[in-house]
Amino acid sequence: MSERSLDRSYAAFLTPVCLVMAAGFVVPLLFIFHQSAFVPTVSLDGFASLADSALFFKVFVNTFEISFSTSIVSILLGYPVALHVSRMPPRRRSYYLILVLLPFWTSILVKSYAFVIVLGDSGILNSVLEFLGLPQGEFIFNRIGVLVGMTNFFIPFVVFPVLANLLTHDQNLVRAAQIMGASRMRIFWQITLPLSLPGILASFVLTFVLSLGFFVTPALLGGRHDMMLANLIDFYTRETLDWQAAAAIAVVLLATTALLLAMLRRVRGAQALI
Amino acid sequence: MSGRSGWKPELVPSLAWCVYLFLLLPSFIVIPLSFSDSTEYVFPPKTYSLRLYSDFLFTSNWVEVSLRSLQVALIAATIAMVIAVPGAYVLARTEFPGKALLKTILLSPILVPIVVIALGLYLYFSLLRVSGTIGSVVLAHTVYVVPFVIITISAGINQLDENLERVTTIMGASRFRILWSVVLPQLKPSLISAALFAFLMSFDEVVLSWFVTTASTMTLPVKMYSSIQWESSPVLAAVSTILTVLSVFVCLLVAWVTGGKARSGSGN
Repeated sequence: MSERSLDRSYAAFLTPVCLVMAAGFVVPLLFIFHQSAFVPTVSLDGFASLADSALFFKVFVNTFEISFSTSIVSILLGYPVALHVSRMPPRRRSYYLILVLLPFWTSILVKSYAFVIVLGDSGILNSVLEFLGLPQGEFIFNRIGVLVGMTNFFIPFVVFPVLANLLTHDQNLVRAAQIMGASRMRIFWQITLPLSLPGILASFVLTFVLSLGFFVTPALLGGRHDMMLANLIDFYTRETLDWQAAAAIAVVLLATTALLLAMLRRVRGAQALI
Repeated sequence: MSGRSGWKPELVPSLAWCVYLFLLLPSFIVIPLSFSDSTEYVFPPKTYSLRLYSDFLFTSNWVEVSLRSLQVALIAATIAMVIAVPGAYVLARTEFPGKALLKTILLSPILVPIVVIALGLYLYFSLLRVSGTIGSVVLAHTVYVVPFVIITISAGINQLDENLERVTTIMGASRFRILWSVVLPQLKPSLISAALFAFLMSFDEVVLSWFVTTASTMTLPVKMYSSIQWESSPVLAAVSTILTVLSVFVCLLVAWVTGGKARSGSGN
């Protein structure tokens, strides 16, 4: 691994992408720090007023609750899919993966709109309940709506890391256990599940981190008083034009994300997440 | 426990199928609705017609915003491919001081919350007084898709035999010539899937666009977002169907090009 400096043509290959990302990503991020603490003068007032704000505290707690439950439910639903796909012969595996990839590449607006139709007050679910003579419920513009929408979005983010992990397992372990007479249940609980813990942990952190900054689902399926941090940033930016508060929240969100990812790196060694 | 193994073989597939249904249901429920003749949601629709599609074509400015999204996605995906492919090649094939840091910065837009980038761009574009220009929307989308292009292309380069490039170097080809005539032809499947997914990501992108567009640069997802939020008009079923068909088309095309080895940029 001798570190050489870049030769000229390699530098030319790398420069355009670096310039564009500097102009469109790095500088705008610096603007947020600047806006949060240096405008109009150097002060931490933005952060201080956040610390005093009951609204911010409530939204911060909401965000953690929603992200945590989303990650747990996504893992519970995504794991069986990964297990199912991993037991397929390789040729059929790709067909089943399309069933997961397709929703992954479908616009989140299509999914949100579909859930408005399915879960809404006079939606399909309530019509079915009415038809069956069961009591109707409120499934939208509350925590349930957000969780359904976000879980639906994040299941593929669990399936891929867990599947990658499951496919690395040594099948001889399973065979040995079978020969020694272990039931399928026991093989699952004592071999497959413990071996897949790193995959579960990776998908938990990925899902949790990505949910923390989620914007569309809570805005469209969540309650008006059950905002997440991203919606609060939007509120301060566009409704009250309090850019300092918006930037301070963005800094908090960014710092939380970075902290969680740093912790994941610790757990999984130097291996990159992506 | 062992006594219950009789039902166990069925458990995983049936759970998995419930989840497949949950994943696919939303995209496919909008299709029959889009052919409904009524202004209210009745499922399944009692009478079928193309009324919602004609609403899409002739009411409000749906076509205008769709064409704008198409334009932005084509430009952003093209720029992203042109700048990110050579960059990904260098990152995959050589070591230099600061490479790890550079790679982290280039890929971090995937993990930095989109809303944070969106706010940064909003503040930045207001200060530069370029808010409401197509260029600003294109820059935002380019930044958004570049990391996915880098990941897809790097995965493709890792599959190649580096010896071919070594041989051409010895024969005196320039770096550019090697990239153009040796590497890129072998990378065709990765290039096509990266370009298609970059296009689709930009076409569907809503959060950055919500922050950086104005009335004159509104894209299709922004119009959809506000329409779902405020009126939930039935024409949305037609728009959603069009978007679903586009996603299915892109996924199948990528699956076909890569021979079924399609992988997203997410996960491992």
